[in-house]
Amino acid sequence: MGQSTPIGSKTILIVEDEALVRFDLVDFFTHAEWRVFDAENADEAIAILDAHKDIRVVLTDVQMPGSMDGVKLAHYVRERFPPTVLFVVSGNAPIPAHELPARATFLPKPFDPHRLLRQIESIAQA
Amino acid sequence: MPRQQWVAASLFLVVMLGIVMLTAELRESLRRARRLNEELVESERQAVERQAFLSGVLASSTDCIKGLDLDGKLTFMSEGGQHVMEISDFNEVVGCPWPDFWQDAGNAEAKAAIEAARRGEARSFIGKADTYRGTPKWWHVAVSPITGPDGRPDRILSVSRDITNLRASEEERDRFVRLAENSTDFIGMAGTDGSVFYVNDAARRLVGLEGADITRLTIADFFPPDQVETVMRKVLPAVDRDGHWVGELDFRHFRTGELIPVLYSVFPVTDATGTLIGYGTVTRDFRERRRTEDDMRLMNGELAHRLKNVLAVVQSVAAQTLRGIPEAETASQSLSARLVALGAATDVLTGRSWRSADLCELATRALSPHGRIGERILLCGPAVTLKPELTVAFALALHELATNAAKYGALSNETGHVTLAWSINGDGDDAKLAVCWREEGGPPVTPPQRKGFGSVLIERSLRSYFSGKAATDYRPEGLVFELEARLGDAAIVTGK
Repeated sequence: MGQSTPIGSKTILIVEDEALVRFDLVDFFTHAEWRVFDAENADEAIAILDAHKDIRVVLTDVQMPGSMDGVKLAHYVRERFPPTVLFVVSGNAPIPAHELPARATFLPKPFDPHRLLRQIESIAQA
Repeated sequence: MPRQQWVAASLFLVVMLGIVMLTAELRESLRRARRLNEELVESERQAVERQAFLSGVLASSTDCIKGLDLDGKLTFMSEGGQHVMEISDFNEVVGCPWPDFWQDAGNAEAKAAIEAARRGEARSFIGKADTYRGTPKWWHVAVSPITGPDGRPDRILSVSRDITNLRASEEERDRFVRLAENSTDFIGMAGTDGSVFYVNDAARRLVGLEGADITRLTIADFFPPDQVETVMRKVLPAVDRDGHWVGELDFRHFRTGELIPVLYSVFPVTDATGTLIGYGTVTRDFRERRRTEDDMRLMNGELAHRLKNVLAVVQSVAAQTLRGIPEAETASQSLSARLVALGAATDVLTGRSWRSADLCELATRALSPHGRIGERILLCGPAVTLKPELTVAFALALHELATNAAKYGALSNETGHVTLAWSINGDGDDAKLAVCWREEGGPPVTPPQRKGFGSVLIERSLRSYFSGKAATDYRPEGLVFELEARLGDAAIVTGK
């Protein structure tokens, strides 16, 4: 679990079991001056979410070991923390919109973090 | 008159009367005798006629009519019979034991029939016997006793009919019946009203109808409710119209309700006059095939998934390697975006099991991250299926073009747009695929100072992969990129 210096309300949780990918995303968002939390699986993610109510964006991979996959985690987050901005990432076939919670965006893997950042910032502004 | 005279006169009278009566009686007798004689002649004539008729019947019958004694020895054979048995001189066979003509089971049947006839019973059987000249033939034989004056059998009648041709056609029919019966494919027939009148054993096994009464079933009963309409509205009318229909459907198991994927092939069944009497089907169990396809799709998906995970890892490793090096920042971003484009191309290939990629689909995937398709980016062209080995290069080139457009070209402002148009020109081996990327409404274009990897990807790699011409024209009103290649080099051409 990594935690960077808190900067404003720009707080993101990255849930990804592939360490190399996770490290990069943590670095990328830290570099973009976000406060970043990261988790290897859904259970860790839920613990972090419970402890840090200021997390505004959750980015989760779909395929993860543990009791919950990314889609289930996204639904959980939508119910527990309704305003959270959700991104669901998978290298598998795209997940149909009706299987995702409301206001969640699917990203095929690999995705462009710069584009993602622009997307998040435009949502934040809206 | 003396008494004696009276006596004499009386006697004379009596004698005369006697003579008259005798004469009358004689005449009557003679007449009777003549009549009897006439009757005799007439009956003789009739007998001769009858004899001639019977001989004619015997001679003209194509059946082999034989008389046997009670031991079963030949005593008589009709002329027609000698002909069909290919006997030129009856004397050669007269007295021969008739059962000896029969082979195998027929021999036993013949002996049993003689035995039965001796007891006064009639018998018939079907057996195989060669003619006198050795031509093998099948016969239907009726053996019956001929009753003598004492009411007991004293001779035996045997009538054999040559059924070789009938037998051959029956055997041929039996072969076809066995072909259908023993086939491992589902074979069935139904009337024009859909009522089923035949299914083979494989069919019964496939859909769980072992030992069931099929006479009340209709074609519709074999399909799940949601496919009945297809069969009734589409399949059977197509059979009436085109003479056949083949396609993948599902049968429904009669006991478990399980859906059974099948290749359903239907054709009309006609009677001897060619009138439609119903529908026939030879249907193949496609469960194994469907399972294999599902497995393949799963494997493919898994492969793509892993490949894209690897791309994501490569992207992360590259980004972390270059992070913090200010002069590498732009390169890192470009690389990251190119890997994303590579991943998208992979998706299109996976959808077609890496065998081909639809040009429009590929363009949509590659370009949609850069602008709304149909608004900022217009796609227009016929259906073209690109060869898989070109797909990745083409997707990367489109990515570069769109990235450039977003940075400097028609997608860098709010009003410009891009048209990607492709067309097929010419026929057959000379057919050419032309692809054109045209930007409009962007800021004025100036040719770049140096060509980066993007331009290399666009021009050189496409030229090489497509074995064609690729050129970028930096027109002031908007960049135009044109690619032309032989259609056969670029695409999978099927039919017209």
